[in-house]
Amino acid sequence: MKTLILNTTNRFIIALLLVFSVFLLLRGHNLPGGGFCGGLVAGAAFALQAVGFGVPSARKLLLVDCRTLIAAGLAVALASGLLPTFINLPFLTGVWDKTQIPVIGKLGTPIFFDVGVYIVVLGVVSLIVFVLADDPDDPDQKGVEPWN
Amino acid sequence: MSIAVVFPILAIFVAAFAAPRLHQMLGDRLGKILALVPLAGFVYYATLIPEMAGGGAVKASIPWAPGLGISLSFFIDGLSLLFLLIISGIGTFIVWYAAGYLHGSKSLGKFYLYLLSFMAAMLGVVASDNLILLFIFWELTSITSFLLIGYYHEDPKSRTSALQAVLVTGAGGLAMLAGFILLGLGTGTYEISGLIALGAGVITGLPEFPVILGLILLGAFTKSAQFPFHFWLPNAMAAPAPVSAFLHSATMVKAGVFLLARLHPCLSDHALWTMIVAPVGAVTMLTGVFLGMRETDLKKILAYTTLSVLGTLTMLLGIGTEMAVKACMVYLLAHALYKAALFMTAGTVDHETGTREISELSGLRRVMPFTTIGAVLGALSMAGIPLMIGFVSKEYFYKALLDADGPAFLWEALGVGASMVMVALAAIAGLRPYFGALKKTPKHAHEGPWTMWIGPVVLGIVAVVTGLFPALVGDHLLTAAAAAVVGDPSYVVELKLWHGFNTALYLSMLTLLVGAGIYLAAGGWRRAMGSTYVTLTAIGPERAYFKIIDGVLAFAAWQTRVLQNGKLRNYVLTVGGFAVLLLLWLLPRNPFTLDMEAMVPVSLLGVTVCVLIMLSAVFACFAESRFSAILVLGVVGLGVAMLFFLFSAPDLAMTQILVETLTVVLFVLAFYKLPNLREFSSKAIRIRDAILSAIFGTVMAMLVLVAFHFESTNVPISAYMAENSQPLGHGRNVVNVILVDFRALDTLGEIIVLAIAAMGILAMLKLRPKGTAKPKS
Repeated sequence: MKTLILNTTNRFIIALLLVFSVFLLLRGHNLPGGGFCGGLVAGAAFALQAVGFGVPSARKLLLVDCRTLIAAGLAVALASGLLPTFINLPFLTGVWDKTQIPVIGKLGTPIFFDVGVYIVVLGVVSLIVFVLADDPDDPDQKGVEPWN
Repeated sequence: MSIAVVFPILAIFVAAFAAPRLHQMLGDRLGKILALVPLAGFVYYATLIPEMAGGGAVKASIPWAPGLGISLSFFIDGLSLLFLLIISGIGTFIVWYAAGYLHGSKSLGKFYLYLLSFMAAMLGVVASDNLILLFIFWELTSITSFLLIGYYHEDPKSRTSALQAVLVTGAGGLAMLAGFILLGLGTGTYEISGLIALGAGVITGLPEFPVILGLILLGAFTKSAQFPFHFWLPNAMAAPAPVSAFLHSATMVKAGVFLLARLHPCLSDHALWTMIVAPVGAVTMLTGVFLGMRETDLKKILAYTTLSVLGTLTMLLGIGTEMAVKACMVYLLAHALYKAALFMTAGTVDHETGTREISELSGLRRVMPFTTIGAVLGALSMAGIPLMIGFVSKEYFYKALLDADGPAFLWEALGVGASMVMVALAAIAGLRPYFGALKKTPKHAHEGPWTMWIGPVVLGIVAVVTGLFPALVGDHLLTAAAAAVVGDPSYVVELKLWHGFNTALYLSMLTLLVGAGIYLAAGGWRRAMGSTYVTLTAIGPERAYFKIIDGVLAFAAWQTRVLQNGKLRNYVLTVGGFAVLLLLWLLPRNPFTLDMEAMVPVSLLGVTVCVLIMLSAVFACFAESRFSAILVLGVVGLGVAMLFFLFSAPDLAMTQILVETLTVVLFVLAFYKLPNLREFSSKAIRIRDAILSAIFGTVMAMLVLVAFHFESTNVPISAYMAENSQPLGHGRNVVNVILVDFRALDTLGEIIVLAIAAMGILAMLKLRPKGTAKPKS
């Protein structure tokens, strides 16, 4: 599906959506938003890219394989949960640093946990979109290579 | 320092996981080097003997899930130590042996991964203090033994045997876990040392004691292959010889015996104990020798004699007198020594001659001198020839039976009878292949490498030395072990080779004589009884096993056909129908009142949105095309989002809108892959579905009202969340704080589910085996 209007607006909208998704992620702790919302918005951006310019270009824009992304997100979330166990606190306890950082506010393990959620959701949404949007009959698109 | 007792276990685990990588680096030298790890463990545990002999015990504990009473706690006393030494000592020889037996095998690294993991798990079983921890190690031995029995996985028989072993022992293990939990709930502790300290009467006095005992015994009996679960053990001989020598003689099958011995102080003070354990052991003892007489395969013969010995040990623990416990410990050590040696030599014979059929083997002593030494020493010990540890153990066995409470004469008769056949089987498996004239074998017979005969020879020599000087093991090791089982630290085992002329000695001599007679008559017996054995196999408990497995598979096939037939509407029907049934059963049991005052007044906007949602839903049902259906469903979703806004839940509303948007996008993308909308259901089915939907909706609405009732009558959790979001969670957005902090574990679970779902979608749509056609769209 190639339309001029979509392709022209996409260039701006995708960048905006990605910035917006990070904005949602970071403000989430105090105002509506969060990792899940942010991940969905970012996923929508890549869906737009896939619809407008084809799946291969969206894959290229994503830089990493969706599966790697999902695994990385889970790893980040898990690591943020494991961090407190090193200072003898139960798994997933929120540990906060007192210093204020501009834009983000205070830094704590729940923020990293939310980042993990964001990455997982982004990976899952893009994966589903890419898989569904891939045209199996198109000789240019070979589909996903088995992951080694 | 006490935690050091766990280090050998950890080291063996580490060695196990390093094995595949090391195999690439070291090649066939791997086994020779890896054996040093259990050897070091053996030496370390041997240094603990003096401490344990004085009635000492080492305890080490690391909290794990203290709220559930589960901790990584270890407890080493005389009994544990005896097992630790047997496992690590024989384990060392097995690792060497496997290096020769599986020489050149490509998957040797994998083999050592399984074998060493098994060894570590087995050490864990005998060193655990916490019942739950013991269960985890116990299951780990089941799993690793599955991998080991199925090592020759190209062979279907090997796979069936592996599955059988893991299913039988796994089912027993689950029963055992249930027993452990009941025991823990009843007494308030999961620590074995704590249970023993409670004293005998407390546990046997629990009202649910018979259930606890039954469940725990199921675990022990399946693991130790007691009748009627004995059939998996001979089948497990499909495993490579080192595995049989280690798992199916010296260690894993003894886990059940260990458990009985470990819990003996807690559970044995009840009439049921002797009533169940002793007869089951006796039946197994007889079953073993009876079925063993049929076999002509070296390994199978040994497997059945192992079965018989396991029965003997169980019977002795069931009888439970001090003498019986003492006999059990001596017998256990003697058996581990000779049976590991015999299994290894049987494996060597198989490996170097190409056959295990006793009729094809003869005169091997000329070509395999060292293997012969190991096998003959093992066989002599097994037969109970004087001067061997096997003789000492048999003396004590007979004495214990004579001393038994209850029908001592019956026990004695059964024990002597089984031992007589054992003498014959020892001669068939350990002497016959090595003497007489050398026969031609499928492979040119020759001696194996040193790695393969060192174990049997050393174990054989140990059997002689401990036979000549039984005090070497008796005074320290066995005293401590028996004291732990009896539950009396001052208990002393004095082992003597010579007890003077007494009944036990005469019976021993008689056993040898009759045994020799049975040996001569074995061929005739096999011919005469051949058809009887076939008949018995046909009605044996193994048949029940296959019946159950077939039944489970048939049930799985049936329910898949009915419930999971690939039609989405059927899935919805099943899930919805089941939810309705469940709720209709639950709702009348939770009476609720409606407090109209507490409810939010209805606004015109809210009503409008709700009506819109309902109209769209109805329209969706009658939509003629997929596209219009999706659009009106989008309206439903956005309407719900609107409601969230109205009730000031911006987070939910935002997420809902995003999800709706993406859903529509995904639907549109999936369009191309879907066939045209067609009518599948008849009118009657549609009416049925409509009625069910109406009921489902009504029930759900009632559920909401019930939830509201509970919220208004109890202190809602939401208040706590709202109050503590800022001070504890450092965030003003309560929803987000709940998601990433208060209930982060739930969220972690959810994102894992999400990831799995994504993998499922990918697999269904994209990954196809090579060469298969794409599904028609």
